[in-house]
Amino acid sequence: MVDPAKLSRYVSPVNPSVFPHLTIVLLGIGVFFTAWFFVYEVTSTKKTRSLKKELLVALVASIFSGFGVLFLLLSVGIYV
Amino acid sequence: MIILNTFLLLLATAFAAEEVNTYLIFKNVDRSIDLTSQLVKITSTITLENAGKDAIKNFLVVDEPKANGKVAYRGVKDSAKQDLNLLPVQVEGNDQKKYHKVILRQNLEPGRTATVVLEEILARALEPYPSSIAQKEKQLVRYFGNHYMYSPYTVAKQKTEVVLSLRSVENYTKLKPVTQSDNVITYGPYTDVKPYTEDQLIVHYENNAPFLTVTNLHRLIEVSHWGNIAIEEEIEIKHTGAKLKGPFSRYDYQRDTVNSQHSIKSYVTVLPATAHSIYYRDSNGNISTSAVKHRKDWIELELRPRFPLFGGWQSSYTLGYSVPSYQYLYRTAEGQNVLTMRFIDHVFDDMYVEDVTTSIVLPVGVSDVKLVTPYQVERLRDDVKYKYLDNMGRQVLRLRRKDLVEHHIQDFEITYSWQPQLLLHEPLMLSLALFIVFLAVIVWVRLDFSLGVPEHSKKE
Amino acid sequence: MVQAGSKKASISKINTKAGISSLIIFVVLLLAWIAGFSSRLFAVIRFESIIHEFDPWFNYRATAYMVKHGFYNFLNWFDERAWYPLGRIVGGTVYPGLMLTSGSIHYVLHLLHINVHIRDICVFLAPVFSGLTSISTYLLTKELWSAGAGLFAACFIAIVPGYISRSVAGSYDNEGIAIFALQFTYYLWIKSVKTGSVFWAVAASLSYFYMVSAWGGYVFIINLIPLHVFVLLLMGRYSNRLFTSYTTFYILGLIFSMQIPFVGFQPIRTSEHMAAGGVFALMFAVGVLKYLQSMLSKTEFKSLVVFGGLIAAGVVFLAVVLLTYAGYVAPWSGRFYSLWDTGYAKIHIPIIASVSEHQPTTWFSFFFDLHILVATFPAGLWYTIKNINDERVFVVLYALSAVYFAGVMVRLMLTLTPVVCILSGVAFSGLLELFLREDDNNRVEDSEEDEQSTPSKRLYDKAGKVPKMKHEQTRDTDSIGPNLRSIVTVVILLLLMLFAVHCTWVTSNAYSSPSIVLASYGSDGSRQILDDFREAYFWLSQNTADYARVMSWWDYGYQIAGMANRTTLVDNNTWNNSHIALVGKAMSSNESAAYEIMTALDVDYVLVIFGGVIGYSGDDINKFLWMVRIAEGEHPKDIRESDYFTEHGEFRVDAEGSPTLLNCLMYKLSYYRFGELKLDYRSPAGFDRTRNAVIGNKDFQLTYLEEAYTTEHWLVRVYRVKKPEEFNRPRIPVANRVVKSSKYISKKNTKRKKGVIKNRPQIVKGKRLSSQKLK
Repeated sequence: MVDPAKLSRYVSPVNPSVFPHLTIVLLGIGVFFTAWFFVYEVTSTKKTRSLKKELLVALVASIFSGFGVLFLLLSVGIYV
Repeated sequence: MIILNTFLLLLATAFAAEEVNTYLIFKNVDRSIDLTSQLVKITSTITLENAGKDAIKNFLVVDEPKANGKVAYRGVKDSAKQDLNLLPVQVEGNDQKKYHKVILRQNLEPGRTATVVLEEILARALEPYPSSIAQKEKQLVRYFGNHYMYSPYTVAKQKTEVVLSLRSVENYTKLKPVTQSDNVITYGPYTDVKPYTEDQLIVHYENNAPFLTVTNLHRLIEVSHWGNIAIEEEIEIKHTGAKLKGPFSRYDYQRDTVNSQHSIKSYVTVLPATAHSIYYRDSNGNISTSAVKHRKDWIELELRPRFPLFGGWQSSYTLGYSVPSYQYLYRTAEGQNVLTMRFIDHVFDDMYVEDVTTSIVLPVGVSDVKLVTPYQVERLRDDVKYKYLDNMGRQVLRLRRKDLVEHHIQDFEITYSWQPQLLLHEPLMLSLALFIVFLAVIVWVRLDFSLGVPEHSKKE
Repeated sequence: MVQAGSKKASISKINTKAGISSLIIFVVLLLAWIAGFSSRLFAVIRFESIIHEFDPWFNYRATAYMVKHGFYNFLNWFDERAWYPLGRIVGGTVYPGLMLTSGSIHYVLHLLHINVHIRDICVFLAPVFSGLTSISTYLLTKELWSAGAGLFAACFIAIVPGYISRSVAGSYDNEGIAIFALQFTYYLWIKSVKTGSVFWAVAASLSYFYMVSAWGGYVFIINLIPLHVFVLLLMGRYSNRLFTSYTTFYILGLIFSMQIPFVGFQPIRTSEHMAAGGVFALMFAVGVLKYLQSMLSKTEFKSLVVFGGLIAAGVVFLAVVLLTYAGYVAPWSGRFYSLWDTGYAKIHIPIIASVSEHQPTTWFSFFFDLHILVATFPAGLWYTIKNINDERVFVVLYALSAVYFAGVMVRLMLTLTPVVCILSGVAFSGLLELFLREDDNNRVEDSEEDEQSTPSKRLYDKAGKVPKMKHEQTRDTDSIGPNLRSIVTVVILLLLMLFAVHCTWVTSNAYSSPSIVLASYGSDGSRQILDDFREAYFWLSQNTADYARVMSWWDYGYQIAGMANRTTLVDNNTWNNSHIALVGKAMSSNESAAYEIMTALDVDYVLVIFGGVIGYSGDDINKFLWMVRIAEGEHPKDIRESDYFTEHGEFRVDAEGSPTLLNCLMYKLSYYRFGELKLDYRSPAGFDRTRNAVIGNKDFQLTYLEEAYTTEHWLVRVYRVKKPEEFNRPRIPVANRVVKSSKYISKKNTKRKKGVIKNRPQIVKGKRLSSQKLK
């Protein structure tokens, strides 16, 4: 059995007390970009649509929303 | 530790079986049999004397063949309060008896004496007699023991003290010299008792300590590298004292608290000091009758089951809490992670657990798992569990053991390797799922579902 | 070029306007969903996530069974742990939509490794579906009126108490999903009537299928839609769209509805469904006549059309009546008949009358459940009638029938609530449209009027080119002053805010009690939780044998089966009145007569609810008279209701009470050892807090039963039925003991020791049997 005094403790990469703040920031940005994406889809016609813009906005929205949802789960207590 | 144990066992059995060393004499034995709780605690202070010419490295301890109950724990300490190792052995000629060999730290030189303290805890050794009582009656139990210490060596002089909870004793066997003062019965001193002598000691007395047995305990430990360890215990408890005969009257119970002491109303569980988010529930939902008190080094949780437990009644509940991972998770210099946690935790004082299964859920993507346990446990087949956001399963180690008491609250150790980058795969999976949804919307908008040719719109 | 440029600018302006309006609609609906969800969470936050009341426990148990054993085993489930010894065919007597919905959500979530327990899914299903109800109400109102009215209606139905009462978190009952299915079916039906496309009619029938699987109230849909079609035909609004949509909907809906085992062949054999079939036949007749009319001259066949239509209706109606008479078609069932004849149930079916939800509605509950919507609903109705078209006829009919039914039974306030929300949304939208109208709109209207009057002078342009003089003239007469506008807007906003406050208050105080956990608040605001029900049920589940049978009144049957997991004799399904009457008779008789019934039914434990210690008014002594009435219905010779009243006709439990009451089993089980209990130093021993009286029969012993467990506040009392060898019969001194000697004289005397055949022929060896000896 190893002696715990000699080892260093494992620390989580993100401080748990920061979880709620990170959630709000990341989810807020993610929702904003999602809303932009959907409004763009609804208001554009076949001619005015540009694939690059759609893909770019979708990528940014999904990354921010994904991380935001993860931190939401962590701050609620579901430690995945 | 398991490997070491088995190797030594093989060694012991491969070589010739042990022999009883006739030159070893127990010069003086002071036994204290504590019968105040539901467990029988026998503490024997033994003075060993080497009457031969060779140094003695170890001595044997033997189980009483006709004893009631099981030996749940046996531990030996020497005079410096250090633990001595115990190994089960076979002795020539005595195949029916179970022996354990105690290995001394320093050899006992010829002519010298040494003092050791042997502690044994027996469970299910007290028999409720009468076996069923009415609600108002007192609970009386009987203890079947031995006036002399059952050992393979001659005992030169011995004395036994039986400690009871109350002054009133129904009856007890009298083997002179015996005296009773207050709640202690003193037997002895007896001189020159031959090895393997048995003389039955019976004490019939009133015992109102809680006779609560945990019939089944399932402990689940979930480790998360985001900084949290969640522990959940599913406990089934049963009152193993005298069974309740006849009606249960709530009126008598509420009015008269003196006579129903044998029922179990509440008990105290001790949790680690950093525990938070404690929940206490059963299959029907949350149980609100609990109280949490924060002490300096631990948290006291007073639990009250939904109904008071009388003899033969059982109940079950789930207790869970979370602890931060920095308390129990360490990193070695080589980059491996080490988890040290208790195999079984405190349920209540003087507890007796019949069957415990501990499952440890490790994070996703661990490899090279090694396990070290403080005592022998049975390792069941590893399981795979899927939690939130898991596509690869998590490895679950399952360990099992029977007959544990408070002294078995010790740490086990798990060592594993794990890449920190694996933490990222969860949010990335979420982002990927959301991106696929966006892609589906992009494709959908470009599809044309109309059945006919659309008319020229006003825009043109 | 300038035109094209301005057109592009206007297109982008329209596009951003559409974009912003769709964003606003999305945000408002999302907020309505969140508001509806959060408003229903009071009980979960105050207590815990648990199933409430009685009926949801059966639904939860059935869902848990389905999740564990699979769908087909659930459909074929025969429950032998209910209605002992009869059992219950669950698969054929339950509407599986609710269980299927939760089960499929559970399946999908577990597939994604989101391990939510089935109980949590059941608890939160109704709040989630309330959001979906808001969305479908929005869609329905948008089809009927406009998007603005739709948003109002969606917000109203999210928080209105009439709907919340049956869909709070933990109330896992059919109505939680049925109202969503109702609104969605109506939306699809309106859409199909408007467009006349087969696609929408098929969608409507699929949604109707979901509704049939969800709730017995589907009868409302299958009568309202034919009524709508019938009224349209009467109004002369026949069209091909109506024909397509109704025929498709009826046929597909009929076949789908018969797939549910509980419904079976009812749609073609019971009176409640005959209206739909009749209108179907009528539709064909009218279609044929219209086709003929198009082929021939107008005047000739106008009269033929009218006559033909009437004859067809008459023939159909006669056919239905004859079939009912002949027995092929079942008459209206008691539950639905009592909606027409409200006094029917009290006399003939006391079980239906005893349920508190089936009582007539008071004026108070209209206001309590609907607040200001009750006042704005007639306004919306008037708006709709004034601007009538095909789909608005439907809403008018829905409103009228719902108002009638809501007046009959409190429970049916739930079907009134959606239409009240829709029409109030219409009313508010109409009001605000009038008072928030901008000047531009005024100008557009005036210019259009001018266009019609002077077409020659106008170019084909649109807004903005009105000569100022005319505009100023019309402005004086038609427009509304800005002060009045702002006052009215502020007042309307105030009303809406008060509505929101009232709804939240009602939800918090009246509709959020789990009723399985009681809480009392001390003088310093501290909360004491009375968890007696779960205590007793848990004790039963842990400390009795698995096959033990528990007898209690039918109210608690589902809870005992769900939480204690024991076999019950009668439960809330109340399908067998005689069995319930037996239990009622056992409770109303004295101990020895009750013991006979209990041994005949193999009862091991008896459970009663007693509220005398804490003042709980829903206990069994307060329900006792209904037990007597139901028992009297089946056993009028043994039980008479008048026996349980005093000479003056009062129901009393103190010393003045009738001796039959003071010696019946229910009384003894409730008050056993209660006569010795002193609640506080002021009141005497045996003071019943609920009835406010000292009980009459205090010191008695039980011969055939033994107290097994009583909870902490004496709320639930469980007794064990003793086996014959355990009785504590009263001890008779030896001198008085009489051994009963029977008057039985044995027929075994010396002459006829063995059994003898009379007139047996005597056979003597060697001699022929003479025929004379034979008789």
